Amino acid sequence: MTTAQERARDSFFADRHEDPRALRVCEGTSCALAGAAQLRQKLSAEGPCRRIDCAGFCDRSPVALEPDGRAVGLRRAHGAIERAPLEPLSAIRTRSRVAIVTERIARGEFCDLARAREAGVWHGFERALRGAPEAVLRALEASGERGRGGGAFPTGAKWRAAARSAGSDKYAIANGDEGDPGSFIDRALLEADPHAVLEGLALCGFALGARHGIVYIRSEYPRAAARVERAIAEARAAGLLGRGILGTGFDFDVRVARGEGSYVCGEETALLEALEGRRGEVRLRPPYPSERGLFGRPTVVNNVETLVNAAWIVRMGADAYRALGTSESHGTKALCLNAGFASPGIVEVEFGTPLAEVIAAASAPAQRLRAVLLGGPMGAILAPSEWDVPICWEALRARGIALGHGGIVAVPESADLRALVLGWLGFMARESCGKCVPCRNGSGRALELARAGARGELLELLDVISAASLCGFGQDMPKPIRRLVESFGALDR
Amino acid sequence: MRSIGDSTAEIDGRALAPRPHETILVGAARLGIEIPIVCKLPGQPPDGGCRVCLVELEGSPRPVAACHTALAAGMRVRTTSPALERLRAAVRALALPPPGHAPRNASHPYLRFTRDLCITCRRCLHTCEDIQGANVYAVVGRGPETRLAFGVDDRFETSPCTSCGACVEVCPTGALTDLDREVPAAEETRVTRSTCGYCGVGCQVEVLADARTVRAIRGAPRAAVNRGHLCAKGRYAHGWRESAERLTRPLVREGDRFVPISWPDAIALAARRLEEIHARHGPDALGALTSSRSTNEAAYLLQKLFRSRFGTNNVDCCARLCHASTARALSEVLGVGAATACYDDVEAARLIALVGANPSEAHPVLGARIEQARRRGARLLVIDPRRIELAGSADVFVQLRPGANVAVLDAIAALLIERGAIDHEYVAERTIGLESLAAALARPALERASEVSGVSVEVLRRAAELVAACGPTLFVSGLGTSELTQGTASVRALANLALLTGSVGRPGAGLLPLRGQNNVQGNADMGGAPDSFPGYQPLDSVETRARIGALWGALPPPTRGKTIPELFAAARGGSLRALWIQGEDPAQSDPDQTRVTEALAKLEFLVVQELFPSETQRFAHLVLPAASWLEQDGTFTNAERRIQRVRAAATPPGEARADWQVIRDVARALGCDWDAASPDRIMDEIARVAPRMFGGVSYARLGDDGLQWPCPSAEHPGSRRLHEHGFESGRARLTHTAFEASPESGVPGFPYQLITGRVLHHYNVGTMTRRTPSRALAPCDRLEIHPSDAAREGVSEDAEVELESRWGRCRARAELSERVAPGTLFLSFHFPETHANRVTGPAHDPASQCPEYKLTAVRIRP
Repeated sequence: MTTAQERARDSFFADRHEDPRALRVCEGTSCALAGAAQLRQKLSAEGPCRRIDCAGFCDRSPVALEPDGRAVGLRRAHGAIERAPLEPLSAIRTRSRVAIVTERIARGEFCDLARAREAGVWHGFERALRGAPEAVLRALEASGERGRGGGAFPTGAKWRAAARSAGSDKYAIANGDEGDPGSFIDRALLEADPHAVLEGLALCGFALGARHGIVYIRSEYPRAAARVERAIAEARAAGLLGRGILGTGFDFDVRVARGEGSYVCGEETALLEALEGRRGEVRLRPPYPSERGLFGRPTVVNNVETLVNAAWIVRMGADAYRALGTSESHGTKALCLNAGFASPGIVEVEFGTPLAEVIAAASAPAQRLRAVLLGGPMGAILAPSEWDVPICWEALRARGIALGHGGIVAVPESADLRALVLGWLGFMARESCGKCVPCRNGSGRALELARAGARGELLELLDVISAASLCGFGQDMPKPIRRLVESFGALDR
Repeated sequence: MRSIGDSTAEIDGRALAPRPHETILVGAARLGIEIPIVCKLPGQPPDGGCRVCLVELEGSPRPVAACHTALAAGMRVRTTSPALERLRAAVRALALPPPGHAPRNASHPYLRFTRDLCITCRRCLHTCEDIQGANVYAVVGRGPETRLAFGVDDRFETSPCTSCGACVEVCPTGALTDLDREVPAAEETRVTRSTCGYCGVGCQVEVLADARTVRAIRGAPRAAVNRGHLCAKGRYAHGWRESAERLTRPLVREGDRFVPISWPDAIALAARRLEEIHARHGPDALGALTSSRSTNEAAYLLQKLFRSRFGTNNVDCCARLCHASTARALSEVLGVGAATACYDDVEAARLIALVGANPSEAHPVLGARIEQARRRGARLLVIDPRRIELAGSADVFVQLRPGANVAVLDAIAALLIERGAIDHEYVAERTIGLESLAAALARPALERASEVSGVSVEVLRRAAELVAACGPTLFVSGLGTSELTQGTASVRALANLALLTGSVGRPGAGLLPLRGQNNVQGNADMGGAPDSFPGYQPLDSVETRARIGALWGALPPPTRGKTIPELFAAARGGSLRALWIQGEDPAQSDPDQTRVTEALAKLEFLVVQELFPSETQRFAHLVLPAASWLEQDGTFTNAERRIQRVRAAATPPGEARADWQVIRDVARALGCDWDAASPDRIMDEIARVAPRMFGGVSYARLGDDGLQWPCPSAEHPGSRRLHEHGFESGRARLTHTAFEASPESGVPGFPYQLITGRVLHHYNVGTMTRRTPSRALAPCDRLEIHPSDAAREGVSEDAEVELESRWGRCRARAELSERVAPGTLFLSFHFPETHANRVTGPAHDPASQCPEYKLTAVRIRP
């Protein structure tokens, strides 16, 4: 690597150039609405601070990460700001008929291998190993499972494409870069149910005939990374990972790769770039990762929640999975409700459940919301009149709504919408990978226009960014911003 | 709506059948529809960043980028509409960053960068990676802070930039530009296609010049040799041409000074003095050095003058000092002393073995081609005493002691034979001598090879394993195999490996010795050697003598003349009295300088044809100002035997004249009835003199990319490779010469082994490059010394060091470098004031008489 290439990488990843001793104050949507900006200002007087865009504790906003990585809740008390450690889990509810994602975490932590196995983890993998990879592929295809990271691509088809190429020099990757402000289900799973993630990943490796597994975990989730590393060591010691797994000829080992502070790396090809030691910029497709992925090898990247679903499907069967949800959206979805709701936390619902029902169940009787933000900054701003939409791919697609990771952030009546718009545009300008012109320069220009209150010009520019950008980040980020400006009068004086 | 067929797509209402892996951009181009785009480079994969090539695709929620969207059957695409035009305009407007009034970076002698004009389109970045392989550029920051970066601090000098200028060619905004482009083009600027006059790669150039001045040089697009690429020297180092130091009038010695004379007087003087000495002392009192810098035609005429008019074979050229060993060994073993392979074999090779060659600096365009081939999957074995640039990307790097080639190459051959990892069929069909070779190689143990070469047994094994795994190999060699007392033996050992692996005559394999100078190949081809007529025809062949005798009228004796070292010895001894030196500076470039200058000083009559005053010219009696390669017509022959046209792009300064013209005029003054009216007529004569090699060569046929010899008839397409259908001599002989330590190794009191060679920014004695802005990139010769040796000797970075051998001493500035191993030193010889060749000695290869430039025992003093 040349000096310039090192500079390129170091300037791209926040952790490589920001102060490592700084308190990382979360200013994601939920924490921003909870007044994080003012808190950071106060905290800077006590020591170095830097902003991050989601710590994955939106149900307990405002929060921060200590320099050693511990997550703490921030609370104003007697003019000072108290920092209290945060446990991995708070409120987890299962509203679906069958618990898939919350099967274990609703009951607590299952990090210990013995406890996880007792609760059913690894059973599906052990059984699958006695059969052929084809059976796993068929189960996934039959289940109709779709990726939970926002893309909603059929998981079985993805695995099938990578399984076609010969040789075992392939990669199965768990995408633990849950960057969408508002979502924290992946953090909860990685921290409290890591074996389920590993089981899903091992099944993926088995189905692909891949030798290499990687769990990519974002910088803001250090506890998750540590717990997954421990789970890998345990699984390896038990012969569930490594060479000749459970006496079969299947070799598959997993390592944890830690993110270094970049939102776009949650996009699978940017993630691959980062894993190869470069700037996390998106790649052009084709070729798709299933054909040429990490280091040019066939690769499947799956979101954490997707893998936990996959493990369940292999264990319980595709039919059991298809029995849940709607005709086109099978299974369940974990939704994350932020601290703006009376009952925040994770709630697992069957596909088809109306959004209104979820919101009503989480709200206090007198609570009035101006809107909710569904699916993070690339998702949708929904006014109460739109809450009738059922949570399922077909209905959301028909209305042009992206589900993202399934985070729901309450926008209270009192919310400063202008601050929200400026916050998101700032986020876009900070996180744009710099690859394509409209997102790279448009983000900064849009921020200037918003600050100046140039509403018309801003809307025009947002359309250009959305129409012309290379990847989903530039294409979708402008939508909720546009909506806030256009329908909610965020920049009106 | 019209329906479109199952297998067709539609672009702007026109149907086409998509081809596999075709993008919309490519499909549209096939229809003649040009979609605007900024970031895409021709022939390179799309970048996707500029977003100007957006097109409308029916059924897509938003426009798609034509450059990276696959064209599929059933697609309907519109490449233009008012909405698209608005969108493209808006995107273009966003591309330019707001002016930050960043200062223009002009610290580099050639390259310029203006940040405010940069749109971060990355065309430079991709070009640098995909053509030169230097990886100078990167993109730093995110969002609107994203910008192009290079080096430590955005200066080219702190980056791995080789100043090749390829990035400047592709910059769409002028953010990157260069010295040559800053001068506004004059109206009468003409473009002339020619062949670069620096190294032996033979890049095709386009010279932009008006009558007096060369404005710029660029790579000829699609040229077979360089495909539009050039190196720093070829592209930028042309400023010497306008130097005020150029020789512009004939000069005659009067006592200690030179005074101008007219051309007629100069021609008459040359004729008279040569004739006098010939009459008084006989043919062998005369000699000539033909020039590897000048054209084939000039070299041919000079040897013809001395052979036919004066009856002497005292003709040699600087090939004696470089690849004489290679030519000798290859001609012995294979029948022809030239490259068996061609440059296109680089891209076709599975394994490239680089032996004693540093193409990244000495043959940069070919070095770049090798690096690109490696990136596309070719394996690379580097055998060199220095950790050269390509060693960094080699699969196996064998860092041997200078002079230990035979031990290492034999060890690899022995391992291949021992493991049976040779091409048995090829060896049985096309070679003889395997048994005796195997027996000879079985004797020296691997441990012994390791001991004398300083290479671990483990590395020797890995090298052999790599060759065994890949089979046919492209052996790219340089002067590190040739300029040693065991030069011929080294090349024989290399040829053995090439034969054992079945490499010779196969695509993607064979032997490719890199020739150092633009026309050293051609110079040797033209008979610039004391033992052969043009085309390597023996002096004593009855058939040849009859044919050439009929063409020339008079012939030299059938016995060989003197080589360069013998000529200088004869001059010192008084038997050689007149010498014609065409475009060469032995007083700086030949080894054992003290004795060379002694020889020059004793000559009665020395004629020098030169561009500039030189060390050798100081001893001349008659100095003839020469036209450079930019100022004359003719041909050069490159290292892959390719004869290419050289065309005058500008007029010579003052009264300077092309070498061939001057020789012809002297010959005419001597009463010769020569036609030689023009270079093409001379080439026609060459074709008749050496018909088996050049019979089909004529200017009419040379075209843009020339012809590769042998080309025996007008119908013959030329020969990319030699020996594709077997060896002319029947079978090639595997021969063995045992490793012998050089007389320059293990000399008591001289503990270091000195290698001399070239650096990227200079060329040989630096006559040209020292007179260009390149001098700022490499202001002096440098002595590379390992930090541990430097510490022991008390030498610090940049300090002046005295080097002393048994033959002389010189001084140079130290560069602490891990490119050399402890105990090894490297010194370039580009600056006359360094006197590097006062240190190199008289040791030479007994078979080829090639001097041992690559190994001299020295000691150093701070």
